[in-house]
Amino acid sequence: MLKKKHAHKEKKESTHLFLFILGGVLLYFLSGWVDELRVYQGASIAVYVIAISSIILLTGYSGQVSLGHGALMAVGAYAAAVLRIEYNLPIILCFVAAVLVAAIGGALLGAAAARLSGPYLAGTTLALAVGLPSLANQFTVLGGEQGLLFDVGFPPLALGEEFTQYKWFFWIAGLAALISLWTIRNLLNSAYGRAWKAGRANEVAAQLAGINTARSKVLAFTISAGIAGLAGALLAMTIGTVSPSAFPLALSFAVLTGAVLAGITTLGGVIVGAVVLVIIPEIADLIAHKLGSSESVITNLPGLIVSGLLILTVLFVPNGPVEQHRARKAKHEALLGSTH
Amino acid sequence: MQLLNTLLIGITAGSIYALMAIAFVLVWRSTRVVNFAQAGMALLSTYFGYEAVSRIGSFWVALPVAMIGGAIFAALVELILMRLLVKHASSGAIAGVAPIIATLGLLGVIRAVISMIWGGQDLRIVAPISNDGFTINGSTLVFSPLKLLILVVVVILLILLSILFQRTNLGLALRASAHAPEIARLSGVRVDAVRTLGWALAGAAGAVAGLFQTVNGNGTFSPDSIEFSLLLVSGFIAAVIGGLDSLLGAVLGGLFLGITISFVLMYVSSGLFFIAPFIVLLTVLFVRPQGIIGVKASRRA
Repeated sequence: MLKKKHAHKEKKESTHLFLFILGGVLLYFLSGWVDELRVYQGASIAVYVIAISSIILLTGYSGQVSLGHGALMAVGAYAAAVLRIEYNLPIILCFVAAVLVAAIGGALLGAAAARLSGPYLAGTTLALAVGLPSLANQFTVLGGEQGLLFDVGFPPLALGEEFTQYKWFFWIAGLAALISLWTIRNLLNSAYGRAWKAGRANEVAAQLAGINTARSKVLAFTISAGIAGLAGALLAMTIGTVSPSAFPLALSFAVLTGAVLAGITTLGGVIVGAVVLVIIPEIADLIAHKLGSSESVITNLPGLIVSGLLILTVLFVPNGPVEQHRARKAKHEALLGSTH
Repeated sequence: MQLLNTLLIGITAGSIYALMAIAFVLVWRSTRVVNFAQAGMALLSTYFGYEAVSRIGSFWVALPVAMIGGAIFAALVELILMRLLVKHASSGAIAGVAPIIATLGLLGVIRAVISMIWGGQDLRIVAPISNDGFTINGSTLVFSPLKLLILVVVVILLILLSILFQRTNLGLALRASAHAPEIARLSGVRVDAVRTLGWALAGAAGAVAGLFQTVNGNGTFSPDSIEFSLLLVSGFIAAVIGGLDSLLGAVLGGLFLGITISFVLMYVSSGLFFIAPFIVLLTVLFVRPQGIIGVKASRRA
C-alpha cells in the first residue's frame, strides 16, 4: 500500500515536470503568433507571476505579511544593473546576483520580521517600501533620481533577424517564471513547505512537533526576497532602467493585490492574479471610452477597479476565486460519491 | 541656536505625527485593526478642507469642516467595511491579514476617487499665518508663528481628547469597550456604536494631521504626494513606539520620533529623510519591543 502511494507520488511529480515543460513549449509558439504589444504584456505577466508567487510563499504559506516587496524588487534590480554596468557580467549572472543580493536583504529583514507579526510586520515593511528606493539618491554609483540603464543586450543572432527585442524579453521572463514556479512548487511540497504551513496554522503546535518556527520564518522571508529580487531585475529589464520611481509604494501594493486576487493560499491561481494586473488597465480603458469619460477618470479607473476587487475578494472569496472553485467542485464530488 | 532650532522643528513635526498616531491608536483600540487607509482618509479630509478654504476663504472654517468630513467618512468606513469584514473574514487562512489587505484596498479606492474628482495636479492651501521664522536678537529661528500655532492647536485638541476620555461617561464607555468589550456590553454599553465613534474620532484627528502636514510643508498636496505616505509611516511608527494601545504613548511616541528624525537630519545627513523612520522603528522594535508604554503580550497579537 505504502509502496503504491509512493509510486503514485512519483508519477505525479513527473507529470508536473512534464506540464511545466509543455507550458514552456506553448509559450514558445505563442510568442510567434501574437503582436508586439501582447508580447510585451506577456513579459509583464511573467514578471508579475514571479513577484506574486514570492508573496504567496511568504504570506499564504508562512503567514507573514509584506508590504515592502517593491523595495526588495528594487534591491534585486539595482544589484543586477550595477554588476552589468560596472563589471559587464553576462546577463544570466546578473540575474543570479539579483536573487542572491535580495535574499541577503531578505534574511536581514526576516530576522527582524520573525519577532513581529500581523500589523507590526506590515507596518515595518511599509516603512521600508517608502524609505528604501529613495536611498538610491544617496549613492552616485546607483545613479540618483535618473537611475541606471539596464540593458540585457540584443537577442542572439542565431534566433534570426526577425526576432524582436520584446520577444527576447518575453523569452527570458517566461523562462525565469517557469523555473521559479517549478522551484517554488517543489519547495512548498517539501518538508520546508509543510513547516511553514504548520507554523502559520498553529505556532505552538508546530514548535511542539520539533519545528524551529523562528528559523523557518526567516528562511521563508529569505527565499521570498530572493524571488522578489529576480522579479525586480526582470522588471528593470522590460523597462530598460532602474530608478527609485520604478519601484513606488504602488508596486508593493500591486503585487500583494495580485496575490490576493490569485488566491493567497495556493500557487495554482498565480497566473490569474498576474493576468488581472496586466489586463485591467485595458478593460478600464475600454469602459472609460465607452462611457466617454474625462481624462482623470480614464487614468484612475484601473486603480479603482483593482482596489475595489481587492476589497471584494477579501470579503467574499478570501481564498481566491481559483481555490473557491476547486473547493466547491471537491464538495460537489464528495456529495456525488456519498450517494453512489 | 542650531540645537534649539532642531528641537523646535522636531517638536512641531512630532506633534503632527502624534495626531496621526492617536488616529491609529483610536482605531486599534476600537476594532483591533491597524488602519493602513488612515493617510488616505487624512488626504480626503484635506481635500474637504481645501474646498472649504476656496469657497469661504478662511482656514479657521476649513479646519472644522475637514474634521467633521473626516469623522463622518471614517464612521461610514467602520459601519460598512469593517462590519462586513468581521462578518465574512474573521476566520480562515488569511483572517490575520484580511484587515490589512482590506484597508490597503480602501487606500487605493480613496486615492483613485480623489484623483477622479480633483485631478492629479498639485493643489495649494495657504497657511493662515506666516511661516517665516521668529527673529530673536537679530538671528532668525526656523520656528515660525505657524509652527507655534500648530503646537497650540494640537495641545488644545489633546486636552479636549483627554477630558473626553477621563471625565465623561462617553469616555468611560470608549475605554471599557476597548479593554473588555464583553463586560462593557453586559453593563449596557452599546459597544458597536462606541466602535463607530472611535473611528470617527480617529478620522477627525487624521484630518487635522493632514491639514497641518500640508501647511507645515510647502502648502501643496496631491493624490500621490509622498508627504502622505510619510505621514502614514510616521504615524504608525509613533503609535508603535507608544505601544499602539495608549493615547499618552502615541503623543510621546510622536514627539520622540519627530525630535529624533529632526536631529538625524540636522547632524547626520539630510538625505536620510525617508529611511530614518524605518531605522527608528527597527531600533525601537529590537530594543524595546513593548513600546514606551504598553504590555509585551499585545505585540504579537
